[in-house]
Amino acid sequence: MEHQNDDTYLAKWLAGEMPESELLNFKKTSAYTDYKFLVDVVDGLETPEYNQQQNFTATLNKIAKQQEKPETKVRTLIPNWAYAVAASVVLFLGYTFFFQETTYNAELAEQTNFELPDGSEVYLNAGSEIAFNKFNWHNNRTLDLTGEAYFKVKKGSKFTVITKEASVAVLGTQFTVNSRKDFYNVSCFEGKVKVTSGKTNHILTPGNAISIQNHITTPYTTVETLPSWTTQESSFNNVAISQVVSELERQYNITISGKENLHVAYFSGRFSHTNLKQALTTIFDTMEIPYTFDANRNVRIQKY
Amino acid sequence: MPDHTKSVCEQRVFEEVFNTHSKTIRNFIYYKCGDSAQAEDLTQDAFVKLWNNCAKVPFEKAKSYLYTLANNAFLNEVAHKKVILKHQKSFTSIASHENPEFVYREKEFKKELDNAIANLTEKQREVFLLNRIENKKYKEIAEMLNISVKAVEKRMHGALVSLRSEIKEFKK
Repeated sequence: MEHQNDDTYLAKWLAGEMPESELLNFKKTSAYTDYKFLVDVVDGLETPEYNQQQNFTATLNKIAKQQEKPETKVRTLIPNWAYAVAASVVLFLGYTFFFQETTYNAELAEQTNFELPDGSEVYLNAGSEIAFNKFNWHNNRTLDLTGEAYFKVKKGSKFTVITKEASVAVLGTQFTVNSRKDFYNVSCFEGKVKVTSGKTNHILTPGNAISIQNHITTPYTTVETLPSWTTQESSFNNVAISQVVSELERQYNITISGKENLHVAYFSGRFSHTNLKQALTTIFDTMEIPYTFDANRNVRIQKY
Repeated sequence: MPDHTKSVCEQRVFEEVFNTHSKTIRNFIYYKCGDSAQAEDLTQDAFVKLWNNCAKVPFEKAKSYLYTLANNAFLNEVAHKKVILKHQKSFTSIASHENPEFVYREKEFKKELDNAIANLTEKQREVFLLNRIENKKYKEIAEMLNISVKAVEKRMHGALVSLRSEIKEFKK
């Protein structure tokens, strides 16, 4: 065939730029049938799902993280005698360093994520802290948590999260732990999670969660595949209104006054992390709680 | 007319640029390395660099800046391991056939196709998939990769020839 030597005719054909006469000839070949079928199948292929919002949040987190630790490279000329001093200091530091705990925290109105030494991922919600021993990590995957975090655990030895109320042990899985004052909850997204509180054990499977409020343990189910707060929302399932208000304060770094006016009530629903006005409406208006809100983001709960 | 008043340093504009380009950049890297987590990581890094240099990069240059960054990051970081692209489903038009033998052959074909795509050269694969899956025109791809349209056409052609020769079904 005439275009045997042309190394772009297939590209021209795909772009619909092949001259009519050539196209008629090409369509008669068996190669055409093959190529047509091939292209039809390829055109039906899809790439793995892409979560734009999540990637944007991750990008913003990376930007925030690098601002926390500005690069400061200082080179100094070092006299020889300094090395002897340095060696002894290194010995001392090495010792303390080895046993020192590494701490990560997320300030109010902030979220952060990081990787543990084994590649497991941790997302910390606002006003939370995690401490662990980096150097002994591979032998002992145990960490202390205050606040709320979402874990994506790499398969391996037992992985334990210790909080004030309970401890959670898993092998390789995805789950969240929320341990705040007077409130505790664990949700399982993948794998199996064992929650130990005092002498009782609960085994959670994907889609299951438990909460502990006032020493009462309540199991419930969740349809979420990711904790809502990693997508700029907080969601609640029958949670005391005072806990919801505390979470609101942490996410927006505000202080809400008049909390003593709150009656005992339980809230199910979610609020956004990006629009305070809307968040207040969602919580207080639906619960019929009167409040005031001014331009300086002062929120006050009124008597009712 | 290019819009000279827009600055990438404004978060609103930055987000707009992200929403317009991040998915294609992620797929662009994904076509090269076959690892979507890594592709997303490199894409995020490219946007972090764009933000850091936002004052130096005019709005209308942001796109090609991002592609260059992502491409360089890929070249720097990715060991040239064998690419295994995982394509979700599809065969929507064919799936309605209920003949099990036919369904089986389709599956086999899909497997062979995945292999054949993975065996393309990286240059052929990125061009071919950008055109077929991302629906980018040859001219756009040429601009993204800083190569001529002729080079894009050669890679497209080469990719098709190579795919056909790799798939056993066509040899019968």
